[in-house]
Amino acid sequence: MAYPYRHEKETRILSECFGDPSARTVAGWKKHGGYQGIARALEIGRDATIEDVKASGLRGRGGAGFPTGLKWSFMPKNTGRPHYLLCNADESEPGTFKDREIIRWTPHQLIEGCLVGSYAIGAAHCYIYLRGEFFETTQILARALEEAYAEGLVGRDIMGSGVDIDITLHVGAGAYICGEETGLMNSLEGRRGEPRIKPPFPAAVGAFGMPTTINNVETLAATAHIARHGGEWYRQWGTDKSPGTKLFCVSGHVNRPGNYEFPLGFPMMELIEDVCGGMRDGKALKAVIPGGSSVPIMSAEDCRACTLCYEGVEAAGSMLGCASVIVMDENTDIVKQVRRMAYFYTHESCGQCTPCREGTAWATRILRRIEDGLGTEDDLDTLIQISEQMTGTTICVLSDSLAMPIISSIEKFREDYLALIRRGERVGAA
Amino acid sequence: MADNGRKADTVTLTIDGHEVTVPKGTSLLHAAETLGVEVPHYCYHPGLSAPAQCRICLVEVEGAPKLQPSCVTMAQDGQVVHTESAQARRMRQGVLEFYLVNHPLDCPICDMSGECKLQDYVFNEGREHGRGREPKRVFGRDDFGGDVLYYGDRCVMCTRCVRFMDEVARDGRLTVVERGDRAVIDTFFESGLDGASFAGNIVDICPVGALVSKDFLHKARAWDLDHTESVCPNCSQGCNIDLHTRDNLVQRLKPRENPEVNGHWMCDYGRANYEWLNRPGRLEAPAVGRGDKRRASDWQHALHALFERLAEAEGASVRVVGSAFSSNEALDALRALAEQAGTLQAGVFRARRAEDEDPLPGFPILVRRRDLAPNVDGAGILGFTRVGDDDGTGGLEEAADHDGVLIVVGDELADQDESFGAKAGLFVYLGTFDSPAARNADFVLPLTTFAEEEGTFVNAQGRVQRFRQGLRGPGTAQPAWLVLGTLAAALTGGDRPVSAADAFASIVQRHAAFGGLIWEGVGSAGAALEAAHA
Amino acid sequence: MSDAPFRNPGWAGNTGEFDLSEDDVRGAAYAGERPPEGRHPSTSASYPFMLVERDPYAPLFEGRHKERYEKIRSRYPTAMAALLPALNLAQELRGHISPETMDEVASLLGLSSAYVRGVATFYTMYNKRPVGRFLIQVCTNISCNICGADEVLAAFLEHTGTELGDTSDDGNFTVVEAECLAACGFPTCVQINERYFEDVSARDVPNILKRLTDELAAG
Ligand SMILES: Cc1cc2nc3c(=O)[nH]c(=O)nc-3n(C[C@H](O)[C@H](O)[C@H](O)COP(=O)(O)O)c2cc1C
Ligand code: SF4
Ligand code: SF4
Ligand code: SF4
Ligand code: FES
Ligand code: FES
Repeated sequence: MAYPYRHEKETRILSECFGDPSARTVAGWKKHGGYQGIARALEIGRDATIEDVKASGLRGRGGAGFPTGLKWSFMPKNTGRPHYLLCNADESEPGTFKDREIIRWTPHQLIEGCLVGSYAIGAAHCYIYLRGEFFETTQILARALEEAYAEGLVGRDIMGSGVDIDITLHVGAGAYICGEETGLMNSLEGRRGEPRIKPPFPAAVGAFGMPTTINNVETLAATAHIARHGGEWYRQWGTDKSPGTKLFCVSGHVNRPGNYEFPLGFPMMELIEDVCGGMRDGKALKAVIPGGSSVPIMSAEDCRACTLCYEGVEAAGSMLGCASVIVMDENTDIVKQVRRMAYFYTHESCGQCTPCREGTAWATRILRRIEDGLGTEDDLDTLIQISEQMTGTTICVLSDSLAMPIISSIEKFREDYLALIRRGERVGAA
Repeated sequence: MADNGRKADTVTLTIDGHEVTVPKGTSLLHAAETLGVEVPHYCYHPGLSAPAQCRICLVEVEGAPKLQPSCVTMAQDGQVVHTESAQARRMRQGVLEFYLVNHPLDCPICDMSGECKLQDYVFNEGREHGRGREPKRVFGRDDFGGDVLYYGDRCVMCTRCVRFMDEVARDGRLTVVERGDRAVIDTFFESGLDGASFAGNIVDICPVGALVSKDFLHKARAWDLDHTESVCPNCSQGCNIDLHTRDNLVQRLKPRENPEVNGHWMCDYGRANYEWLNRPGRLEAPAVGRGDKRRASDWQHALHALFERLAEAEGASVRVVGSAFSSNEALDALRALAEQAGTLQAGVFRARRAEDEDPLPGFPILVRRRDLAPNVDGAGILGFTRVGDDDGTGGLEEAADHDGVLIVVGDELADQDESFGAKAGLFVYLGTFDSPAARNADFVLPLTTFAEEEGTFVNAQGRVQRFRQGLRGPGTAQPAWLVLGTLAAALTGGDRPVSAADAFASIVQRHAAFGGLIWEGVGSAGAALEAAHA
Repeated sequence: MSDAPFRNPGWAGNTGEFDLSEDDVRGAAYAGERPPEGRHPSTSASYPFMLVERDPYAPLFEGRHKERYEKIRSRYPTAMAALLPALNLAQELRGHISPETMDEVASLLGLSSAYVRGVATFYTMYNKRPVGRFLIQVCTNISCNICGADEVLAAFLEHTGTELGDTSDDGNFTVVEAECLAACGFPTCVQINERYFEDVSARDVPNILKRLTDELAAG
């Protein structure tokens, strides 16, 4: 049952208890089968748990879609050194609001996922890195974690298994880039949240210099269910390349925005028109950003045949990212919105890499000038070249993340830019 | 296996069509360097960690999906690398363009102009016309205290300065403040770098004109400076340096890389103390005669007269005062002359001693030593005894009252009064400045400083290091080894030294510690003395 | 606009499909009181650090707060890792991070003051200067923006009579622009101190401000 609207077509695995405050407690969560996943994992052992997650085909829900089981299997064995699991709860990708929902309605779902992940990779300590703005959400999770400690579900000898797993809440302080995995590690260590160069990869040298795995909240929550039911069970949903269910965060100009859970491969238009009750005020669809602001923007046409799975969105010319579907109607001012995104990336660039530090800021200033009616057609070429120079040239992909909406918007909505450049006419209201 | 022939600790790869074999763990940037290809780089510095953030060193590696930062990508067997492919050039040009978006382009008033890596790279491969139409970001100028001035608008954010302070000076006073395009380098608000003892290095390693020396500010253009390999004369570490000179004046000292001595670095104390080399009022011509009888002379007459006096004094008791600022060649020639002229009672020298030493924590072989002179160790090995107090005064009572032959070389006798040497049968004063205490000298002979001659010092590590001539001496001032060596040769009838190399060769003959060394072999990097004797 | 009825309950979810109170949604009752010395060390770093009550000169790591800091510190292998939590604690007490605060935190953790400044200025949630009792952060990022966030921001500025980033004369309000707050389905999202107000439209603004001043009056 997604939130704050529900739809009968949903497949509710992660979202079963959204909107149900009684599921926040250990007792409430256990009523829904809670903590059976970690119990089974402890029974079948580390390697079998990793095999289960591999078999499930679960792909990381933080944006990159990397197979989770494979990532876990990269962790070295018997190093005698501490291993860490980091849970990425920095949720800051514009358009994305699923992790917060998971945490505030089902904190034990995340705690259980963290236990499964920690156990599988041999970590005795898991840090949950929460974005600083999540005060209320974090309070709920804190209470739940205290309960879990009190019940012996977390800490020394969990559930009488002889395994020790600690979980600590770590609170950030406002920086999108700390969602990037190595930026998060630096931030956790008390540094500026600047991403690190890879190699070395986190599985070799991660948090505090130790082997580390980092996963998104939704990823870990899903592993709790996979640990309980097995890998094949999860594959009953979704496509071959995108197994399982996923939370879709729908925002923008639809009648019923919010989180909905569907098997991957769900048709985009059905999501917008049926599940979300169609476009607000009966307006026409203009564009969709399907995966959070860091992916190419799609025209209404691109959306027609698009299915919401990793390969489906890619075939439609964009990326599934974290499945944050931003729906824009015919009144949307694309140039303004691209400028607003550019400003966001300028504001959030950590500033290490020259193409990102200078490129984001320069692109924002050019876009602002175009928006003010002072642009030229050459500016569009310059923007595209800047974007190309920002792609594949930096430490992390924040830089590429701005390049994509700029290039795709100029390709697909060139008329909007030209209207401003040639006639000083804004297309759309906001 | 079948690979017997290949050494496991090297890799062979192709860079720009040339095959090159390098040790495992060599970066592509260094591998290219061995072929004489300089890949542009800002954030990478061989003495610091490599954050790979400036992105100007990107090269194409066949098979890799993206361009790779050559500073941190390690060479691998069979790799095919292109530093000049169209893609690599285009991306570097792109990165350069980003640097210029906000750069003030104030080269005409920038001290770095002429040695600036932004200027160089843009000149080599930048776009002809910048496309930036937007107003530039302005940060302005910030006085970091000490000798360092920061021009934020010129900064390329390579963080070399921050990493030097953190990793090498281990003095966390510099940081990046803010993030993204608002980021600047700063200290803790107004607290600055005052009192830091190695901060001058950040000016050296700043690849652009963002960090400049206040002392050097607008003093000279880089292209007008001559560079001479030398050794810092300000303590017994003997950091390898370059003298930067113009108009026969030292304009600044810059560290010269020597991994055995100072790495890429030098201390602020040493760097700041060069004005004494430019001090006017030098002794320029020989003078003969005591007190009121002092008369100007020339070398021919003065040396002839002095030779006669020395010959007369044969067998006399001789005392000499040397200096830890004198070269080995000077000190040994002094000693040889004294031994020739009579019975050497004592050879002494004085040197200031600081209260403590000051190591560079991240490069601990480099220590600003307690001995604040370059050749304290050389003087000791060559048989001179240190006398006097830590402030470089006192200890000359016996010399002052000596009634035999007294020769003073390089000690200005600043703490001595006019009665010094009054009882001496023969008093010879060789130095760079006249002194009230030289009033009784029978001969006053003008010397060159180490910057005006060639020679060697022995540093605190027991390492002989050569310095070269960067300045012309004033008037007819001569190197001490030449003057003393000529006199000794005249007394023995031997060959007089005509070069510092000759003088050095005679040290090698006379002192086991120098055994086996040859002048050329000392080279630019110096050479360790025989440990057993040093 | 301002005489419209108070439509916005302050949280998303009043869609009629769920029978929930504000507290059910916010979970405040479940979370419960948070004692200043912290409860279990695993959660000691998790307190709201944007409170109404603050004193720029409050002692930092003393008494019960010291206890909490020590619990926090015990969870990390390095002292440096306690830096963000320590700054959070400092901001919770003092409301902003002044140079003096940076200095104090630096000596507590054995870091250089410049280092702490470098870290503190990296993160936007550290107020580098004092802010109003209520820091109103209006998301104007894309999902909110296409649904009118700019008007919501303008309304907050108008009704508080402030300029962006400045504090109202009564010291109550500072309005700033925020990046995506991860509540994009319910535009516009506004974070006011530790609370999210979702589904905010420009006409809700006077009512929200009134609610805040009422809360202040009630203590
Ligand atoms: C700029 C940037 C921001 C990111 N922000 C987040 C984030 O807020 N939350 C998240 O889970 N992953 C984020 N990621 C992705 C993480 O780097 C990482 O891939 C992810 O946490 C891995 O977990 P997963 O494999 O479970 O998806 C971000 C990546 C980048 C480049
Ligand atoms: S790409 Fe941007 S955000 Fe990422 S490391 Fe480089 S400067 Fe920082
Ligand atoms: S001041 Fe110089 S060394 Fe320091 S970051 Fe800027 S450009 Fe680099
Ligand atoms: S350490 Fe000594 S030799 Fe080196 S620069 Fe300083 S004073 Fe000169
Ligand atoms: S020198 Fe390689 S990235 Fe800076
Ligand atoms: S865009 Fe406003 S909360 Fe995400």
